[in-house]
Amino acid sequence: MDALPREAHCYAMELRREKRAMERPLVSVVDDDESVRESLPDLLGEFGFAARAFSSAEEFLASDCVDQTRCLILDVAMPGMSGPELQRELKLRRREIPVVFITGQREEIVRLQVLKQGAIACLFKPFSDTAMLDAVNSALHPK
Amino acid sequence: MEVQPELASGEVKHLQRCINDLVSLLALPAIWSGGDPSQVLHTLLDALLRMLRLDLVCARLTLPVGEAPVEIVEIVRTAEPRASMPSAHEICEALSQCLKDGSRKWPPLLRNLMGEGDVSIVPLPVQGELGVIVAVAQRTDFPRQTEALLLSVAANQACIGLQEARLLAHQKRVSAELDQRVVQRTAELAAANEELKKELAERGLIEERLGREERELKRSEVRKTAIVDSALDCIVTIDHEGCITEFNPAAEHTFGYRRDEVLGKHLADVIIPPSLREKHRQGFARYLATGKARVLGKRIEMTAVRADGSEFPVELAIARIPLEGPPSFTGYLRDITERKQAEQALRRSEAFLAEAQHLSHTGSFSWRVATDEITWSEQLYRIYELEIGVPVTLELIRSRVHPEDLTLFERMVEEARVGGSDFEWQYRLLMPNHSIKYMHALAQSTRDQDGQLEYIAAVQDVTARRLAEEARDKARSELTHVARVTSLGTLTASIAHELNQPLSGIVTNAGTCMRMLAADPPNVEGARETARRTIRDGNRASEVITRLRTLFGKKEATNEPVDLNDATRDVLALSLSELQKNRAILRPELADDLPLVTGDRVQLQQVILNLLRNASDARSTIHDRPRDLLIRTEPDDNNRVRLSVSDVGIGFEPQAADRLFEAFYTTKNEGMGIGLSVSRSIIERHHGRLWAAPNNGPGVTFSFSIPCRPESLTSDSTRDSRIPSVSDGA
Repeated sequence: MDALPREAHCYAMELRREKRAMERPLVSVVDDDESVRESLPDLLGEFGFAARAFSSAEEFLASDCVDQTRCLILDVAMPGMSGPELQRELKLRRREIPVVFITGQREEIVRLQVLKQGAIACLFKPFSDTAMLDAVNSALHPK
Repeated sequence: MEVQPELASGEVKHLQRCINDLVSLLALPAIWSGGDPSQVLHTLLDALLRMLRLDLVCARLTLPVGEAPVEIVEIVRTAEPRASMPSAHEICEALSQCLKDGSRKWPPLLRNLMGEGDVSIVPLPVQGELGVIVAVAQRTDFPRQTEALLLSVAANQACIGLQEARLLAHQKRVSAELDQRVVQRTAELAAANEELKKELAERGLIEERLGREERELKRSEVRKTAIVDSALDCIVTIDHEGCITEFNPAAEHTFGYRRDEVLGKHLADVIIPPSLREKHRQGFARYLATGKARVLGKRIEMTAVRADGSEFPVELAIARIPLEGPPSFTGYLRDITERKQAEQALRRSEAFLAEAQHLSHTGSFSWRVATDEITWSEQLYRIYELEIGVPVTLELIRSRVHPEDLTLFERMVEEARVGGSDFEWQYRLLMPNHSIKYMHALAQSTRDQDGQLEYIAAVQDVTARRLAEEARDKARSELTHVARVTSLGTLTASIAHELNQPLSGIVTNAGTCMRMLAADPPNVEGARETARRTIRDGNRASEVITRLRTLFGKKEATNEPVDLNDATRDVLALSLSELQKNRAILRPELADDLPLVTGDRVQLQQVILNLLRNASDARSTIHDRPRDLLIRTEPDDNNRVRLSVSDVGIGFEPQAADRLFEAFYTTKNEGMGIGLSVSRSIIERHHGRLWAAPNNGPGVTFSFSIPCRPESLTSDSTRDSRIPSVSDGA
């Protein structure tokens, strides 16, 4: 595998993601921060979910993933439409997707607010992989 | 007569003695000469008693005293009394009995008148009606012939003596009367003389006075003419008909008439405008008829007319000339055109000033310090809400001054009394309705003509401005506070956010990496990729920190020689108005020859300002006492310089001190702690330390101490103090 050129590796990853997406629930990540968009889908993949990353709420709404997404991992503060605004927008479109918020601002007020609005969880960055797994699982399997 | 020899010798002796007695009797008048009747009788009776060896002799006289009734005087002389001898009284009674028959003739001799024992009585008529002398002797041979002779001579002598005495007495009486009359007449003459003298003197005085009065009258006339001629006022005299009798040069000049043109003319026709002439005539006629005048002795203003017909205002005083005869009057007239104009200009100016004072809410006052005589402008009364015109005293002003500002007020008054320099101060008034007015006073000292200190001051009601300023300041400070809190919050959030992003990537990548390596088979390629991204995110986090340091990090502090006294003075100059607003009284005690320190002047000034503000802010809770702030610089131990700021005002509650400490050690929203912690970091950067300590008395002292500049140091050992040391901060 080491011998494979970087492009080939990426292509392979892409194929695997698509193939899994067919059978695994899709988790979408919307965050303006690139490192999150790069790292989180890999982790979600390791958990066995299909994952897609978008840099903004608008980009997500414009994509064809809105209907397939079973869980939305959403940054609170983003340029343009914010996380909570996207959540409200989806509600207006009668397309309610379970949301796990992530935020770099450790504001308890914000966390309580979004939970009140119906979010599954709100994780402060940096969050642990297990906290993320628990949050996604509870989004996919509501009790 | 037949004479026997032995008998003859006895007879001779007897005769000799008789002759001697006779001579003695004849010499008696020489003895009683000049005496009164009783003295004559006494002398005679004594002589007879002795001469004739009588047992008793007495005399009874009726003495006419002027025209008064007869008075009876009895004088009795006796030799040694004998038992058988009748008393003089008995003898006189017996004699009276025998004379009862009315016969005025005395018998020549009575014998045995008393019966027992022989008594010879020889009555001696003394000029008949004048009286009787009775000589009594128990001898039988009494009276012998010679003795009878002696008795009759004696009686004659008595008669002559008595007559002489009586004459003398009469003469004396007449003489005395005469003397008295002379004295009386003399006195009368003297009185008359005195009166004459007086009359003469009075006549002289009157003449002298008349002369003097005449001279004075002449002088007075000359003087009056000179006064009238040179007077600046017009002087016009009129007689009882209102005709002009005098018209002085000033009147000629003012009215444009020559004196000879107007003499004898009716005053009203000359100087009174036609419209007022009738009124003048009526008034004049009324005075002549009733003696009542409205204008006499008063100063009145009226309109007069000149020869050319132009009218002008005059001031007029009319006096009646106090002479007998028909009344005449003097009128003093003064052209007051200029004064009227000046008055009008003054009124206008005053109106402008009043309007300006009203518009600018500014009053003015003058204060004569020596007499405490205070004069206010009307506007000042309005500002103080006092009835215009009530006498102003310091006590009255004091009653309006806000209780919290009274100490300051008293201090200003005290300083103004001794100072004599211009001053400016701000204070508040507490009105009866409990509203507060803010005043700004500017006083200028002057000296009046007597050299007494006087202040002229403008007092402005700056309440509206002050309230606006306070609102603005409050808004500004709130804004500053919000900005500071917000910026701090934003800063914290921004730092957290900037760091959390890469950290989040790092944590997620590391987690993914571990999971990929733990898979079967391990996804080594994926793990390598995530590890690579972990490194990249780590570097990104490091970059974030570098960027923050560039963004928020302080510039390098300058290191220059700083005179802490100078720096302090600059700060005081900047913060005086703010301190005054908090009504704090600042007392700087800056040490002379304070060594220089090395450091950043601006940063050190920030610390000083911060300490002053803290003290001043903390004091804002105290309202009822003067606020003294002491700022002091002094050399400290170990070649350091110390600056301290103390609240030394009386009565700083212990709780307030506690609060200060609390504020110092915690970082609350109020920002005080933040300011102090910044201050502490600045001082620590200057290798010094900052601390707070409660005063011995009330209050708190904040101090910092920093090393002196190396040049100021003398030994190598002390230079170590420049090495940064860990400071405990308190």
